[in-house]
Amino acid sequence: MGISRDSRHKRNATGAKRAQYRKKRKFEMGRQNSLTKLGSKKIHTIRVRGGNLKYRALRLDSGNFSWGSEAITRKARIVAVVYNASDNDLVRTNTLVKNAIVQIDATPFRQWFETHYGVVLGKKKTDEEEKKVSNHVQRKLESRKTQSKIDSNVKDQFAAGRLYACISSRPGQSGRADGYILEGKELDFYVRKIKSKK
Amino acid sequence: MADQTERAFQKQIGIFQNSKIKKNRDKRWYREVGLGFKTPKEAIEGNYIDKKCPFTGDVSIRGRILTGVVVSTKMKRTLVLRREYLHFIPKYQRYEKRHKNLPAHVSPAFIGINHGDLVTVGQCRPLSKTVRFNVLKVKKADVKSKKFEKF
Repeated sequence: MGISRDSRHKRNATGAKRAQYRKKRKFEMGRQNSLTKLGSKKIHTIRVRGGNLKYRALRLDSGNFSWGSEAITRKARIVAVVYNASDNDLVRTNTLVKNAIVQIDATPFRQWFETHYGVVLGKKKTDEEEKKVSNHVQRKLESRKTQSKIDSNVKDQFAAGRLYACISSRPGQSGRADGYILEGKELDFYVRKIKSKK
Repeated sequence: MADQTERAFQKQIGIFQNSKIKKNRDKRWYREVGLGFKTPKEAIEGNYIDKKCPFTGDVSIRGRILTGVVVSTKMKRTLVLRREYLHFIPKYQRYEKRHKNLPAHVSPAFIGINHGDLVTVGQCRPLSKTVRFNVLKVKKADVKSKKFEKF
């Protein structure tokens, strides 16, 4: 492949140039970057050392995202890459990497919230009909009422139908773009960064 | 929580900051490194985030524990120690002075380390190309003594 992960080619701490005394070994090999983009799912499987497999995602469109404070995880579509701390180019080209900030489709979470708490998020339609729910469900909804309050900055994102999330898996290694929804201080931090970019 | 100077949000991985229960937010994780080293107060109460700190980060101290004198603190969160020793020449039955420089990572828990302080470092996994040690304890230099001491 040509990419080797050895340190024999680097200079010493003193600055001395190290002489080459052996060729590159297979156990030092590195592979090309998988710049996984947004698109219909395309994953290549790679045989690695020990006979194990790595799943190199070349194109992904959805991932398993978890809403930490509610402790639920849903599969959501990834809409766009919005911020990357390492490289602005990766934002422009919509490349999915670990710790990239993306926008995901909010509908799975909104639907869960509505069935779990009975509260509609986002747009408030004036002509909402009272859905008939059974007694047992009604009692459950009442008992969960006190916990149904969520952060205001997360709530506002539901109105637009898009949530900010952070990728926490490595798409080029596991073939998945899973992550967590940004909340609290982290969300404020990244929203500020995104705004200052614009 | 911390002073966010980097482009990515700095936080301690593994502690969840967005709990709905208000008193479970703003928790700080720290550990005792073992071997009798006291974890500094600044590590427990401070606000910094350093993944290479032995008290609040993801490195474990194992292997050798060495001491040395601080030579340079110009690098970000890392310093250079000087370890002096005597080497015996059998032919002349005498000793000669030799020294080795050792770069070590210094956590923001230790503030005000200066040139000449005596520092204890512990071995950890490689943190960078040359850094394999992490500062555990600092003893300030007393201003007077300038003679060579064997450590």
